[in-house]
Amino acid sequence: MKIRLAVGAFGLTAMGIGLTILLTDPYVRDPIDVAQWLAGAVLLHDGALVPLVLAIGAALRGPRWLRGPLRGGLIAAGCLTAVALPALVGPGTPAGNPTVLPLDYGRNWLIALGAVAAATAVVAAVSAVRARHTSRREAAGPGD
Amino acid sequence: MRAIRFRSPLPSFRPPLPAFKGRLHDARTATVVGRVLGAAILTCFVTGVFSHYLQQPPSWAVDVLPSRPAWGYRVTQGLHVASGIAAIPLLLAKLWTVYPRLFEWPPVRSVLHALERLSIAVLVASVLLELFTGLLDTVQWYPWPFPFRQVHFALAWVAVGSLLLHIAVKAPVIAESWRRARPSSTDPLPDPDGPDRRSFVAAVGAAVGAVTLTTVGQALGPLKDLDLLGARQPDHGPQHLPVNRTAAAAGITASSVSGWRLHVAGPRPYELSLPQLRAMAQRTATLPIACVEGWSRNGHWTGVPVRDLLDHAGASAHARVRVVSLERGGNFGVSEMGASYARDPLTLLALSLNGEPLSYDHGFPARIIAPNRPGVLQTKWVTRLEVL
Repeated sequence: MKIRLAVGAFGLTAMGIGLTILLTDPYVRDPIDVAQWLAGAVLLHDGALVPLVLAIGAALRGPRWLRGPLRGGLIAAGCLTAVALPALVGPGTPAGNPTVLPLDYGRNWLIALGAVAAATAVVAAVSAVRARHTSRREAAGPGD
Repeated sequence: MRAIRFRSPLPSFRPPLPAFKGRLHDARTATVVGRVLGAAILTCFVTGVFSHYLQQPPSWAVDVLPSRPAWGYRVTQGLHVASGIAAIPLLLAKLWTVYPRLFEWPPVRSVLHALERLSIAVLVASVLLELFTGLLDTVQWYPWPFPFRQVHFALAWVAVGSLLLHIAVKAPVIAESWRRARPSSTDPLPDPDGPDRRSFVAAVGAAVGAVTLTTVGQALGPLKDLDLLGARQPDHGPQHLPVNRTAAAAGITASSVSGWRLHVAGPRPYELSLPQLRAMAQRTATLPIACVEGWSRNGHWTGVPVRDLLDHAGASAHARVRVVSLERGGNFGVSEMGASYARDPLTLLALSLNGEPLSYDHGFPARIIAPNRPGVLQTKWVTRLEVL
C-alpha cells in the first residue's frame, strides 16, 4: 500500500512538472494549441481508428485456424503502415538534404506488406495442418 | 477510503451504447500488453530525459557529464527511438483492449471515479501525441503550431506521470492478473480464452518485431539492409554519412570559408591556418555521429585533439570551452563543452572523415567530434574556440 501511494504521488508530481513546463516555457506561446492537439489525437483515435479496426475485426470470417493468423497479419500490416505513414504522406525529403528519407518508401512499404502476407500464409498453413491432426485425434477417441 | 457517490437522477436511463462481444477486452489481456507497453514507455522516458539534459545540462552538471563510453549516446538515443516505435503497436493493442471501458455506464460513479477517468484521458492523449510527434520528428515533419522539443519534453513528464498514477490505481487488478497467471490447485478451470489471447499477444509481438526490424537499421549497422521504413540509411550521404544540417542550409559556401583561420581565445590566444592545423600532431578516433532523431553511424575522424589546442592557449585542466561556428541561423551555432569532454583525448577538432577532408556538409574546414555526445552538439564549420 505504501509503495502504491508513493508511485501515485510520484506520478502526480511528474504530471505537475510536465504541466509547469508546458505553461511556463517561453517557446510554448499558446498552451491551448497543445490542448487542442491532445484532444484531437484522442478524438481521431477513439472516434475513427478504433471503430475502423473493430469493424474489420467483426468482418473476419473463416475457421479458427485461419482467423488467428489473418488477424495477426492484419495487425502487423496495420502497424507497419502506421509507422510508414509519415514517410508516405508527409512532405518528404526537405529541400537541399537528400539524406532525409532517402528511400523509395512506397516500394518498401509494399515489400514489408508482402513479407507479412507471406508469413501469414505460412502460419495459416501450419495451423491448418495442426487443426486437422487435432480433429483426427479427437475423432479417434480419447487417449494420446 | 469513502468515495462520494453521485445519485443518478434517472436510475433506469441508459442510452444506446455499443456492445462488445469480443472476449479479449478483458483485464488479463490489458495487463499482458500493458506491462510491455509500460516498460517501453519508461525506457523511452528515461533515455529521452537523459538526452534532454545531455543537450542542455544544468550548470552544475556541465563538467561532470561522462564522455565515456564513446557509444553511450548512440545506444541511449537509438533505444529512445526504437522503444518509441515499438510502443506504437503496443499502445494501439492496449487501447483496443480497453476501448469498451469508454462506454461505461453511468459515465461517472463518484468523484474519485471521475478523477480516475480524467487521468486516463490525460494518459491516452499524452502518449498518443508523444508517439505521433516523435515519429514525425524522425522525418523532420512539423505540422503543428507549437515547438517540438519543448512540448515533447513537457508531455513526456505528463505521460509518464499519468502512467505511474494509472499503475498505482490499477495495482490490485495487475496483482490479481499476476496471481492468476500462475496455475494453482485452487483454480482448476483452464482459461477458456487462453488460446485466443495467446494468438493475439503473439500477433502484437510480431507487429512490434516488424516495425522494429524495418526501422532499427538506421542505428544498428548489421540490420541496415532491413531498414525499409527508417527515415535514414546509415551510409546514405556525403562520405557515406547522413547529414542533419547541410552547408547550404547553414549559409556556408566556398567563399565564406576561404581564408579560414581557427581562433583560439584564452590566456594565450592564437590563430592557426588550415595548413598549420594539419601540420600539428593528428589523432584518429572512431566515433559515432548519433543524432537525436535516432540514427547513428561510426566514422573514422582525424584531427587535432581539442585538449592540445587548449593546452597551447594556456587553459587550465578544468576549463570549459565555447565552440563558435560560422553557420547562420539555427539553434546550434554556438555550443559549450564541459571539462570532461574538453579533456577527453578522443575529443577532436576533426579535419577529415574516413581518410578524406571533411565535405562542406560535414563541417569543412573543421568540426568538433566528441565521444558520447548528441549530434547537434558536434559543432560544424568551427571558427573559434573560447576558453571559459
